[in-house]
Amino acid sequence: MRVQTGRVEPTFLDVLVAKEWGFRLAEKPIEPIHQFQIHDYFPLGKIGGVHFAFTNSALLMVITVLVVSFVLLAPTGARRLVPTRGQLVAEQLFGFVSNMVESTAGHDAMKFFPLVFTLFTFILASNWLGMLPYSFTVSSHLIVTACLAVLVFLTVIIYGFARNGLKFFKLFVPSGIPWFIIWLVVPIEIISFLSRPVSHSLRLWGNMLAGHIVLKVFGGMVVGLASIGALGAIAAVLPLGMAVALTGLEILVGGLQAFVFAVLTCVYLHDAIHPGH
Amino acid sequence: MANPRDTKSPEGGDGDRSATGDLAARIARAKAARPQPIAQPVDVGPGVSAANRAFRLASEFVAAIIVGAGIGYGIDALFGTRPWAMVILLLLGFAAGVVNVVRSSAELNAATAVPPDTPAAPDDDDDD
Repeated sequence: MRVQTGRVEPTFLDVLVAKEWGFRLAEKPIEPIHQFQIHDYFPLGKIGGVHFAFTNSALLMVITVLVVSFVLLAPTGARRLVPTRGQLVAEQLFGFVSNMVESTAGHDAMKFFPLVFTLFTFILASNWLGMLPYSFTVSSHLIVTACLAVLVFLTVIIYGFARNGLKFFKLFVPSGIPWFIIWLVVPIEIISFLSRPVSHSLRLWGNMLAGHIVLKVFGGMVVGLASIGALGAIAAVLPLGMAVALTGLEILVGGLQAFVFAVLTCVYLHDAIHPGH
Repeated sequence: MANPRDTKSPEGGDGDRSATGDLAARIARAKAARPQPIAQPVDVGPGVSAANRAFRLASEFVAAIIVGAGIGYGIDALFGTRPWAMVILLLLGFAAGVVNVVRSSAELNAATAVPPDTPAAPDDDDDD
């Protein structure tokens, strides 16, 4: 859901790309970042002077949740002892994440398994749904990934204090440091801790944004070259091959980034449970 | 289809229960056989991992600097000490970025074993 004030202004990236591609925009609209535009489908009303609307991003989030729910719930409803293919996929996914949580964050972290599993499947499914033509990649907007990262960050802080009390501050005071260095180390550790949600969200967002832009740039090259003439159409095979290869890579990156996001969530949860270094 | 044909079930069971008769014992055995969880990061395969690793280290470093500068800017705006808090916290942010990079590269190194054909590092005691 996007917060919107007034009419749609061109973003910084819009202006940047329009300058870069300006000569081309005039004759043919090939914009690599057009895919990231947010459209309102229907308004949801105003809250505190801010306009809320159901957007294409929100639609894809809803579709993602529906797809994940369907893939996981539909084949497992019968609870067969000998699983069908669909049930096997759901069980393997469950076992994979369960193993990851247990090996990375420890057995005590299994109570956070639903959180990690939800994050993993949501990011994975939304990344792969975003690869479909005319679709929208939810995680290519920083606000979405930042919300997910802040969710993990606040979980770590709240649970860390609830479980360890003031001992949670041990996270910032590594053991075995002489007193004359400790006043320098503690601020560094605090900044390092606060930088986690930033890098956590930047990584997913940056990967998805960059990958999709590169994909569209090569796609634009194919169209641009093919429009020149017969020779251009032959040369267009090269960027087309590149686009095909990058599509495969993007599917891989989408899965990998979902995995990395989930693993780092586990690493941070491990710190909430065992704050001492 | 719903009727499992489990040939490994014990003899003499009554119908459907034969498949699940010793299920509890089998689960207990499987749990015992499962290796104890060791806190080690999961390996991310050799293919994309180089670019992934580079991006991870870069984002860890940059994030700490952004956060340091941001906190410094906030303190300056609150107490009117411009530009000192930002200068100090930017430097601390650099340090925190290095800490982040060292920590995550140690994690990544722990996740991947050293290749057997790696040449040994020169020893400090070798004075020649």
